[in-house]
Amino acid sequence: MFEKLCSILAEQFGVGPETIKPETTFVEDLGADSLDLVELMMSIEEEFDIGEISEQDAAKIKTVSDVMELLGEDA
Amino acid sequence: MKIIVDAMGGDNAPEAIVRGGVLAAKQFGEDIVLVGQEERVRAILRADGAEGIPHLSIVHAPDVVDMHDDPATVLRKKPGSSMAAALKMVQRGEGDAIVSAGSTGALLAGATLFCKRIKGIRRGALAPVMPCAGGQVLLVDAGANTECTAEYLLQFAFMGSLYLRKLMGVDRPRVGLVNNGSEDTKGDALRLEAYRLLREAGEAGRLNFVGNVEGRDVPLGACDVAVCDGFAGNVMLKTIEGTAKFLSSELKQVFLRSAGTKLGYLLVKRGLDDFRSLFDQDKIGGAPFLGIAHPVIKAHGSSNETAAMNAVRQAIEFCRSGLIEEITANMEYMTIGEK
Repeated sequence: MFEKLCSILAEQFGVGPETIKPETTFVEDLGADSLDLVELMMSIEEEFDIGEISEQDAAKIKTVSDVMELLGEDA
Repeated sequence: MKIIVDAMGGDNAPEAIVRGGVLAAKQFGEDIVLVGQEERVRAILRADGAEGIPHLSIVHAPDVVDMHDDPATVLRKKPGSSMAAALKMVQRGEGDAIVSAGSTGALLAGATLFCKRIKGIRRGALAPVMPCAGGQVLLVDAGANTECTAEYLLQFAFMGSLYLRKLMGVDRPRVGLVNNGSEDTKGDALRLEAYRLLREAGEAGRLNFVGNVEGRDVPLGACDVAVCDGFAGNVMLKTIEGTAKFLSSELKQVFLRSAGTKLGYLLVKRGLDDFRSLFDQDKIGGAPFLGIAHPVIKAHGSSNETAAMNAVRQAIEFCRSGLIEEITANMEYMTIGEK
């Protein structure tokens, strides 16, 4: 699951998948803006088939490990 | 071909947009789908005697995107809005292009989220055409991205150049980098890096890069594609619009000053009308949102029916141009690898 997430992030942010770590932050490390974050949530919903991520859950997501937690797997 | 029109977007919606859709259906012979509150749309068609005309259909969408809605999230919060419904139709392949005069931010966000970027393109960019000495200039980006990297600017330059070549028949569009001086040492870190990338693309013969251009040189026709980040682009666009309005109003005052000047006005009226038509946004229709995997046209917020019709014309021309395929074919020249 982590590899799949890394590949989604690599594609969206134009970075090498090997540079992504559980502690990587979306805003500071990957330079995400508000639209990137919405786009990321939509990619995660689609790729992992998890239905719509609520605004409350989305607001808590700061790092890669936060996403793993949301997906039910500890990074 | 099927053009999806957001009937509820814009200051004069739905009336002006619906009427623009009717004009487009009659004039261009392509299918037009008006997406919006069906009863309101139908009432306008009925009042105008345009119900049941060929090439025109309606898809109901109950909700409307408001100018106060947060652009990045509104289309997820309002899936029943005309803009979201229109974008999703294009996403599902039920239409070839979308036209909207609604919230620019929401359309740009929605286009990215639903229609997706062309693979390899980092950011979509708003690219209005402006009049300038000797013709027209394409401003990329006019406000979609306030923060940019040098790679974004390189991509804007390629997309703008290809747009002018494919849609406006400009053979080797001159690409200028908007900067605070024309010398190659001018600008901040972003501009210096972008200059290097653009110069390399120019030396390789892939772009006709003419160097840095100052803001004042853009209306004077220094380049065909003016490349800048969305913050600078938006400030420049609005400054030029304001200056044009100011000069126009001052000119009017000059002619109203006395009986003699009024008589003079009559003598030069035709020339002045020609001059004014240079700035007629209704004739252009809208601005393309470049870098998205489907044609997206942002019509001016204050679009009247002529502007709405011309925005549809622009969408049809965009569809026919093969621009998206051309951008895809040039992708290797406009990416600089991983960060």
